[in-house]
Amino acid sequence: MSPTDNELMEQVRDGKVEKLAILFERHQTMLYNFFLRLTGNRAASEDLVQEVFIRILKYRTGYHGESRFNVWMFQIARNAHVDFLRKQKGEIALDDQFTEAPGNEPLPEARYEADQEAALVRRALDKLPVRKREILVLFRFQGLKLREIAELLDCQVGTVKVQVHRALKDLSRIYLELQGGKAS
Amino acid sequence: MSCERIQDRFADYLTGDLDEGARREVQEHISSCAGCRTEIENLTAIWAKLGVLPQEQPSGGLRDRFYSMLEEYKSEAAGAGKGFRPARLLAGWREWLTFRRPAFAASFSAFLLLLGIGAGWLVSGGGGKSARLSSLQREVQDMRQTIALSLLSQPSASERLQGVSYSTAVRNPSPKTLSALVNTLNTDSNPNVRLAAVEALYLFRNQPGVNDSLVGSLSIQSSPLVQVALIDLLVEIREQRASEALKALIKNEKLNPDVKKLAEQGIKQLI
Repeated sequence: MSPTDNELMEQVRDGKVEKLAILFERHQTMLYNFFLRLTGNRAASEDLVQEVFIRILKYRTGYHGESRFNVWMFQIARNAHVDFLRKQKGEIALDDQFTEAPGNEPLPEARYEADQEAALVRRALDKLPVRKREILVLFRFQGLKLREIAELLDCQVGTVKVQVHRALKDLSRIYLELQGGKAS
Repeated sequence: MSCERIQDRFADYLTGDLDEGARREVQEHISSCAGCRTEIENLTAIWAKLGVLPQEQPSGGLRDRFYSMLEEYKSEAAGAGKGFRPARLLAGWREWLTFRRPAFAASFSAFLLLLGIGAGWLVSGGGGKSARLSSLQREVQDMRQTIALSLLSQPSASERLQGVSYSTAVRNPSPKTLSALVNTLNTDSNPNVRLAAVEALYLFRNQPGVNDSLVGSLSIQSSPLVQVALIDLLVEIREQRASEALKALIKNEKLNPDVKKLAEQGIKQLI
């Protein structure tokens, strides 16, 4: 049976730093998408994933394995994101970053529609305040339980539920507004 | 039940984490409360919409950067280790000196003797460290092979390509890695991955069994691109056993004429 994340991280903590490679292979895509949904910037998201693993190495001796490795990793990821935002000072228009598509070839109609839809959801997500966006991304995409998000954000589970609810309500409103704006 | 209490459950409702009883309560409430019904419909809709955001793959550059960072960290840690040990020893000294015990002065010479033994241990420790370093390097090699093997079995061709490129960074590939590469060469559905496997196996041509596998693969390949790459390779390494395989190849009536020409030239070059 392959070792769990916690077991691997304990080995990294105890000096077998090369085991970090397995954790990297397991989590790089998930972390990359976490940052991509928060920042909307591909290059910055890759930098942030790299930063997370640098910090994991830096703080490896402080790993105690009480909570799931994921929660600890997201703690580091959130801090890296906060530092990134400080540097950026919210200057960049996030959805502009997404318009640079990988290729310019014309898309088949069905994909075009799906892409339009995704672009709209992304713009709506981008208009949410960062804290709400973060909690939604954690809950919707990162496979974290409400209990784990509460641990991550250092608050009660009830508070997380309320925040998820509010964030979704806001997102729904923004999405409908954008959709209406597009139609008119 | 109040709307507020019901709304507390919406998050769990969306993820399907409510137990049967609670779920029924929510459903009963929304069947009689139009406000909550509209709300949960909106929330469910946007929850589903979020699913259209595609999952993207980071570029291969991220992986390269990570591995160079890890290598750098390890070499720095190995270098720093040399400085750390005497520092720890010094800290031990200070503890000794600040610990006022009557026997301390009398046994000072014994202490110096211990120090001498400690120094001897430090010097001899150098050999152990280099052994540890090489075992660490071995482990990195093992890790590369594990990653290459895992990537080679992925459903996406680009990941398998990365797997092949990873395997080329291994200095002494294990028989398992070599056989995975040969297997990729012979059975991968994507000709680009098979081509990359030819290149990788070229690097490992001095490993036992590799050349035999390359010769054997000639009769298996169907893509002219891969056939050309294999013939070029076998001619370049002057693999005599390839002559027979090339002769068998040109007998195949379906063979691409350009490949046939190249194979015929190859047979002449190998004589």
